[in-house]
Amino acid sequence: MNESLQQELVKDLLVESYEGLDLFDRELLGIEQGQGGSDRLNIIFRVIHTIKGTAGCIGLGRIEKLAHSGENLMSLLRDGKLVATGEIVSALLSLSDALRGMLRVLESTGSESTVEHTDLLAQLERLQIAPSATPAPVVAKPTYGLFDDEDDLPAAAAAVAPIDEIHADAEYDAENEPAAAAHHETAPTAAVITASAPVVAAVAAPAASRAPVSEAPAADPSRSTASVADNAIRVDITQLDKVMNLVGELVLARNQIVSNTTVFDQAALTTAAQRLNIITTELQESVMKTRMQPIGNVWAKFPRVVRDVAKDLGKKVRLVMQGQTTELDRTIIEAIKDPLTHIVRNSIDHGIESPERRTAGGKADEGLLSLRAFHEGGQVIIEIMDDGNGIDLERVKAKAVSKNLITAEQAGRMTEREAINLIFLPGLSTAEKISNVSGRGVGMDVVKTNIEKIGGSIDLQTQCGQGTTLRIKIPLTLAIIPALIVTSGGARYAIPQVSLLELVRLEGATARTGIEKLCGAPVYRLRGNLLPLAFINEQLRTAPGLGRSIGDDDVINIVVLQADGRPFGMVVDEINDTEEIVVKPLGKQLKGISCFAGATIMGDGRVALILDVVGFAQHAHVVAETRERPVDVAKTSFVADCDKRQSLLLFNVGGKRRMAIPLALAARLEEFPLSQIEHTGDSEVVQYRGQIMPLIRVGNYITGGKVVEADPEKLSVVVYSENGRSVGFVVSSINDIVEEAFEVQRHASGRGLAGSAVVQGHVTDLLDVPALIRNATPSFYAVAA
Amino acid sequence: MSKRILTVDDAATMRKMVAFTLKDAGHEVLEAVDGCDALNVLKDRAVDLVITDLNMPNMDGIELTRQLRALPAFARTPIILLTTESDPAKKMAGRTAGATGWIVKPFNQEQLLAIVAKVLPA
Amino acid sequence: MSTANQYCTFYVDGLFFGVEVLRVQEVIRFQEMTPVPLASNVVSGLINLRGQIVTAIDLRRRLALADRDPAELPMNVVIRTDDGAVSLLVDQIGDVLEVDADNYERPPETLSGVARQLVLGVYKLKDNLLLILDTDQTVDLVEKTASATAKAA
Repeated sequence: MNESLQQELVKDLLVESYEGLDLFDRELLGIEQGQGGSDRLNIIFRVIHTIKGTAGCIGLGRIEKLAHSGENLMSLLRDGKLVATGEIVSALLSLSDALRGMLRVLESTGSESTVEHTDLLAQLERLQIAPSATPAPVVAKPTYGLFDDEDDLPAAAAAVAPIDEIHADAEYDAENEPAAAAHHETAPTAAVITASAPVVAAVAAPAASRAPVSEAPAADPSRSTASVADNAIRVDITQLDKVMNLVGELVLARNQIVSNTTVFDQAALTTAAQRLNIITTELQESVMKTRMQPIGNVWAKFPRVVRDVAKDLGKKVRLVMQGQTTELDRTIIEAIKDPLTHIVRNSIDHGIESPERRTAGGKADEGLLSLRAFHEGGQVIIEIMDDGNGIDLERVKAKAVSKNLITAEQAGRMTEREAINLIFLPGLSTAEKISNVSGRGVGMDVVKTNIEKIGGSIDLQTQCGQGTTLRIKIPLTLAIIPALIVTSGGARYAIPQVSLLELVRLEGATARTGIEKLCGAPVYRLRGNLLPLAFINEQLRTAPGLGRSIGDDDVINIVVLQADGRPFGMVVDEINDTEEIVVKPLGKQLKGISCFAGATIMGDGRVALILDVVGFAQHAHVVAETRERPVDVAKTSFVADCDKRQSLLLFNVGGKRRMAIPLALAARLEEFPLSQIEHTGDSEVVQYRGQIMPLIRVGNYITGGKVVEADPEKLSVVVYSENGRSVGFVVSSINDIVEEAFEVQRHASGRGLAGSAVVQGHVTDLLDVPALIRNATPSFYAVAA
Repeated sequence: MSKRILTVDDAATMRKMVAFTLKDAGHEVLEAVDGCDALNVLKDRAVDLVITDLNMPNMDGIELTRQLRALPAFARTPIILLTTESDPAKKMAGRTAGATGWIVKPFNQEQLLAIVAKVLPA
Repeated sequence: MSTANQYCTFYVDGLFFGVEVLRVQEVIRFQEMTPVPLASNVVSGLINLRGQIVTAIDLRRRLALADRDPAELPMNVVIRTDDGAVSLLVDQIGDVLEVDADNYERPPETLSGVARQLVLGVYKLKDNLLLILDTDQTVDLVEKTASATAKAA
């Protein structure tokens, strides 16, 4: 066999066998779960059978031998002579692991592993307690022959494998196919084995890694050499044909343009250019499609992971997968493989409880882990949901405090969302003890980083006792992304569209006064919320930020972006256009600059840098490392300036009195049935999110009398939170949210009123929240202080 | 003399090896991934020899042999079975179905060419 | 004579440098560059080399020599590295020279500072000295970038 063929065959064998073994695991697990049937048995038999046959033919004796031992056991299963017990399934899974290990060694070193797998071979042997286990006598059998030509048989055998050379391999003794063993002793095959070594090395790994290679799966997610199976994709032939056709058309269009540039026929040139544009777009889509793979490719290994982890931990877990066919670019598939596996392991380890605990808690003893993937708004959403115990946020906070990640005081003030975000901080692992399963040195922080690296985001929701849902949003592709092009300091920058929330343009007077300083940091009021600003010129040190004064002709462009789930504004000189850009990596000389994710080539041939939005935000300190929300004084009161628009929450008290508070002050809107109201002293309280929340009946307070609420069954409550404590304002009804500019008429007399204004054409009282709280529940501030 | 040979195997690596060996020996080679595919390939083409794997999805080698034998055009075409089966019953089933010969996997290129030479007189 | 002793030569601030011919991908005239904010000051910018994005390192700055007169446009010596192509900005291109190994010496003691770390050795030619540049060290800015950032902070 010539070298390049051998090399190619080994490569094919690797791809085929890795795929086959994944299928093997899947089907085997199906059998174990009682969804057996001869189909599955046939499939798993065929996988091992194929590996054995192919490995044998290209001179990989050890792989062949190992596969062979499994094949015998499986043929007994297939023929109904044995039943797939748990022990047999485990042994067969070990077989598939061992084969994978051998394939990995073959892939990275170019030669077969020397690991003997004696125990596994013995185990597979032992499990074959077939009814008629009398070993057949060892008879030399021919390798090939004709049915009509019985005389040919001995001659053919002798020609290839003289009987006295038959290798009495224990493995082959057990079954009556000694000719196969004898075959290994023949010279041509042996030559193939030696010849294969250097050739195969060139296929995969750098020759430098000639050190003994372990068969253990590479646990390190940052491993540099991708497996051959990872580097090969199967492409639908029709898809490739389409690409080829488009390339043909592209060449034609190019030729037209080239010939037209000499003649300079404007009309023809325009037509050709348009044509070129259309073809390029189509080609781009087509090529991208060939790179798309179903997410099921990654999920395929999860039934096995779930089984193993659950078994290790003595838990019962049912895995449900939906949307396996959802397609993603293969680079993304690669990138999410490890984070997803980690999350799945985590869910079983920390999420789903032991069967005893589940039964005691009134749940089914079998936990449910569900994976769901679907498209939404040009992105792919992956949800990992478990019905386990959820995450105890108090414990998370305690842990973060004990690890000095936050102070006890910060912990006390944290909202639920902020506490959840703690899970993603480096150095925080919620497991009380490091278990085999999740104690692998990777935390949720790494998961988050890896997902953000590919432009994705991760969000976690948990309910104590009910379970946890992780929601991962990822872009469809990395190679070509839509981006907003901006200009600043004379240079163009591309901002990935996924991070873009909106664009704000301030002109004239607004440009002069729109940007305010809060403790020295520039902010802009966006619909009543303070948006931290970063001047790109200042941050990148290309030009001063807001150094000079702004004139009437000046325009301020704010690109509102989202980093780490928090919005911020990037002030740029000019906003250009949205474009599809091709992402190219930066050289290692520039890797250390966190503000840039890469570079791209613009239409004019010049290079533009792609901004890394999260990196930029951190560089500019607009998203803090610890997610402490600054309590800003500015937004807790009404703005005096009459030309400021502000978002207001409108409500009624005591029937028809119109009142408003700044929307930013309303943490939540809730309804409580009257039955939930309890009393401490002479105050009304409700239990709310693990706290006792005092209620203030705004109507009673403002009017000084007793107001009967409209709905006697339940109370409408506006929740205000500060420093981790909440207070509820009871109102008659919540009416509307408006954004208006208004003029406040102050009046001194009102209890808890800041004044009144005309909002939506009606006189509306403006509630002075701090004053109201101070008067109604003085203890609220006393405790906090 | 160059012959046209169809190789049928669901394992791409095996198929490739058989095809390469035969092409190297100067034959024209057609490929099919299972019995159904083979029947499709043979719909409008005649071949001098069919080399088929036994164990394949959709339609196995024995069924393929049976079906080919039922077609007048392939009643006499030599059919060689590739097998790793230790089970003689399977081989006999192949014989009953009308196969011409067999070769046990693993085999090397010389062995393959030897059996091909046997069934295809030059 | 083998190509191992062939050097692509160029001038930087009056000094005569050589890089092994095999390391040089191509030599091109000055290209428009996109500056990279926050990068080390030895990085002049990014150039588009037929669709490939290449970092341009100003050898004058890398060697801590005086800046080039802005009116004079540098040339790009594009070299191959493990991490893709990198362009070295030089004043002027010389010939490809074949040199005699007998004339090779370790860098002279008089060579000081950064230049000493980046020069592998010297060939004594008839008229002048040819300084052999260690391209791997030259494109490795890790330490430099770190100290530059530290200074900035």
